[in-house]
Amino acid sequence: MAKKDSMSRALMRRETIAGYAFMFPSLIFFVGFVIYPMVQCVFTSLFDSTMNREDIFIGLANYVELFQDSVFLGALKNTFVIVIVSVPVVCIFSLWVSSVIYNLHGAACSAFRCIFYLPVVTGSVAVTVVWKWMFNNYYGIFNYLGTSTGILEKNINWLGDERYALGCIILILLTTSVGQPIVLYVSALNNVDQSLVEAAEVDGATKFQCFWRIKWQQIMPTTLYILVITTINSFQCFALIQLLTSGGPNHSTDTIMYYIYYNAFKLYRYGYGNAMGVVLAIIIAILSAVQFKMAKTD
Amino acid sequence: MRYRKILAMALSFAMVFSMAACGNKGGDTQTAGGSGNAGDAGETGGDEGNAGEDTSTPEADGAQASGDATDITLWTYPIGSWGDSATVDGLIANFNAVHPEINVTVEYLDYTNGDDQINTAIEGGKAPDIVLEGPERLVANWGAKGLMADLSDLWTDDAKAAIYDSVENACQDSNGVFYEYPLCMTAHTMAINRDVFEAADALQYLDEENRTWTTENFQKAVKAVYDSGQTNVGAVYCSGQGGDQGTRALINNLYGGTFTNPEHTEYTANSPENIKALELLNSMDGINFDASIAGGDEINLFCNGTLAMAFCWNVSQEKNNLENISFDVLPMAFPTESGDPQLCGGIWGFGIFNNGDDAKIAAAKTFIDFMANDETQVAESVKASSYWPVKDLGNIYEGDELMTEYATFIPFMGDYYQVVSGWAEARTAWWNMLQKVGSGTDVTEAVEEFVTVSNEAAQAN
Repeated sequence: MAKKDSMSRALMRRETIAGYAFMFPSLIFFVGFVIYPMVQCVFTSLFDSTMNREDIFIGLANYVELFQDSVFLGALKNTFVIVIVSVPVVCIFSLWVSSVIYNLHGAACSAFRCIFYLPVVTGSVAVTVVWKWMFNNYYGIFNYLGTSTGILEKNINWLGDERYALGCIILILLTTSVGQPIVLYVSALNNVDQSLVEAAEVDGATKFQCFWRIKWQQIMPTTLYILVITTINSFQCFALIQLLTSGGPNHSTDTIMYYIYYNAFKLYRYGYGNAMGVVLAIIIAILSAVQFKMAKTD
Repeated sequence: MRYRKILAMALSFAMVFSMAACGNKGGDTQTAGGSGNAGDAGETGGDEGNAGEDTSTPEADGAQASGDATDITLWTYPIGSWGDSATVDGLIANFNAVHPEINVTVEYLDYTNGDDQINTAIEGGKAPDIVLEGPERLVANWGAKGLMADLSDLWTDDAKAAIYDSVENACQDSNGVFYEYPLCMTAHTMAINRDVFEAADALQYLDEENRTWTTENFQKAVKAVYDSGQTNVGAVYCSGQGGDQGTRALINNLYGGTFTNPEHTEYTANSPENIKALELLNSMDGINFDASIAGGDEINLFCNGTLAMAFCWNVSQEKNNLENISFDVLPMAFPTESGDPQLCGGIWGFGIFNNGDDAKIAAAKTFIDFMANDETQVAESVKASSYWPVKDLGNIYEGDELMTEYATFIPFMGDYYQVVSGWAEARTAWWNMLQKVGSGTDVTEAVEEFVTVSNEAAQAN
């Protein structure tokens, strides 16, 4: 018996060592390229850290400056607008599309999934260039359709007018954000236990009741995942802004991510940029925690 | 099972160590290029990791082998063919024919990542010996931070007498220390669609021979073109900083305003002349303040005929877009009241990073002197840039109609104010200011805010 235990422990030890050995390479990269930069980011946010100058410890001065910086506050507001609009729209729209297509025949369902997933796998730069052309002030297709049908009196400078620019950004973000949730929802809906649905239908439950009482409950983990990733992606909206508006006009499309980039890589104010990064990380962490809490799961 | 695990682990370690080895090799390449000396020249010459960028010549290699060679590194931004290894190899071969004792290794930068590469090299103590760029980086940025070597000994009395005054002023800081030795220059112009202007009978308002026009005639010409049905005559583009010199030059020239004071210590864009110019442009039919386009977009819109004039133009634009243009392009100076246009331009030359090695600094100066002053070499060095010399070398583009046409604008080159402090912040504030003006904010208020932000940045730097 003792010999058996000893063999078992030896086996476990070997398994454990092997496990750690396999993890070791990726652990090195994770620590080197994720953990270390995160720690460095928090640390540097306490310094006046500018390229080609000695770092000067300034405590929380970067954070104080942040909340007195009207551009940062505007960027914070714009970021929240993007999140508040895009997250529910992405979730509801993708759930609706998925509900419609998940029980279609295999080929039809695949075709719809491909169509909605296409913007996700297409390079963001290519997508953005096409949208930029469609929104063009002089020969864009939206202006062409609008003026030729009489909806618009004259061309609108969609991306150059602060009344429309943020809306345009959100619209593009929606088209590139719904692909993955649709694929996830289709998969989740297909995994709903049909015997429960059939039993409920036999008991006289309506379609809405079947959805709300059975399907919705079973796809809740997927919904939570989609909520979290969509929120994070919306908070980190950068490429669209960089390629389309550079935060303009009049800072109306500035987001925190873009403002971090501007400060860190245009002005080389690393300390200030890192302070923004820390604030953004805290906001995302709090919102994710709230989302987990509301979904009553850990 | 056990053997499989051992094999898998061995493969994992092999992957890790191969990556580490790759990283190490990259590091060695940087070190050898950045701070190598005669003692390790053999290693540099033997490293073929960047074969495309290694410009060692047989002569230099021979000198290295003897242990007498000095290794220096040259990092160039893509200034014409100075960004092309085949051309630069030829230039360096010329140099090594005369100076086989100096081995030059070249790295080619682009404007997207070049600054980051140099700044990272500086932070790592591996700055290049020579960099080819303009005064805003060499003088106002790295020079002001004490990173560059003083080039005053290259600026002999003869050199000062030969090189244009505006260029000489741009190559030194406010204390008179030279951080750049110039090689070439260009003047940025505007351009009009001559066909559209002719059809609108607007050519009468400009001096085609001298390529100048008055502010009053500019207004008349824009009105004539607008009335002819071309509603998009020109665009004050302001979605970003790309090509922003065009909008600055337009606004400064219209009524003789300036962007900074003559000492380049303070922004003066809130002058009455600039405010008047902005108000004029904002009130003109056919001129749109467009926050959805930057300089590059404006050029495209001009080339495809959507706009009748471009404020962001120079010879490179015409060369690069020859196949896309189906009309006659007429490059013009910006309109002025006085008839004395002051064009923005580019001045490119060499700076030397002070890496604390006198031998390298001396070798770098020898290289610069050869490229920019040697009578047999300087014209070829300038022509490689596709621009014009900073001193009178005669018409080095004899027989080239386009280059000869654009040479007309070189005498109009104005003050090179880009060396002012707080430049990065000011550039962003400039297009933000234009966006505000375009969206209806009071011009004076917008310009005052621009000047306040920019001057604060200048003082902070």
